[in-house]
Amino acid sequence: MKIKKGFVLRKVGGESVVVPVGEMSKQFHGMINLNETGAFLWTFFSAEHTVDEGVAALLAEYDVDEQLARADVEQFVKTIVANGFAE
Amino acid sequence: METERLKIEDVLRLQGKYVGPTVGVSMLPMLKNRRDTIIVVPKTERLKRLDVALYKRGDAYVLHRVLEAVEGGYIIRGDNCYVDEKVPEDAVFGVLTEFYRKNKHIVCTDEKYIRYANKRLKTYKFRRFFVRIKWKIKGACKKILRAFGWRK
Repeated sequence: MKIKKGFVLRKVGGESVVVPVGEMSKQFHGMINLNETGAFLWTFFSAEHTVDEGVAALLAEYDVDEQLARADVEQFVKTIVANGFAE
Repeated sequence: METERLKIEDVLRLQGKYVGPTVGVSMLPMLKNRRDTIIVVPKTERLKRLDVALYKRGDAYVLHRVLEAVEGGYIIRGDNCYVDEKVPEDAVFGVLTEFYRKNKHIVCTDEKYIRYANKRLKTYKFRRFFVRIKWKIKGACKKILRAFGWRK
């Protein structure tokens, strides 16, 4: 899974917000608020990776058990795909 | 992650800020169409000279610079525009506080930014003079091309 091109992740007052740029801003009108884990996964999935790789990356970055990490990554991927942000 | 479709004024009211892309060329060279990102907060007090106001003109959102606060509103103009506009106080609902120019983060209280904004206003008459000359040359060229049948 990989996030489509045309989005930028911005830090605004300690929060992470994704906004569209270029042609993507004609299709998507909005802003995506991400928590810390969401911002980490957004950056990670900006390159092509599998869910398992996402889980491994989350485990390496955060002190969290595998079950919770997998649930987070699966939920993230599901939301990204459902909203048409994946390619 | 949750998704909702809201108007900018609703986003400002609910979230206290709006982060989004810029659309249009009226704030060039500061903001480039669909490349840069603006961070706008709700207007909580009267705006002042150099502030960049977010307001609505019909259904369109406009982000232009305040030249002067006048009774009942503001005299406003885009950095790349040559026409002033009087905007009523109640039409303005947001103010630009930060922006990303490409990937460079700029805060509107930054001294360098304020110098830029001041310079943009100070050089307005000079820029307008040259733009008018450019328009006249362009118009003359079009007439010549039409006269020779090279342009409809």
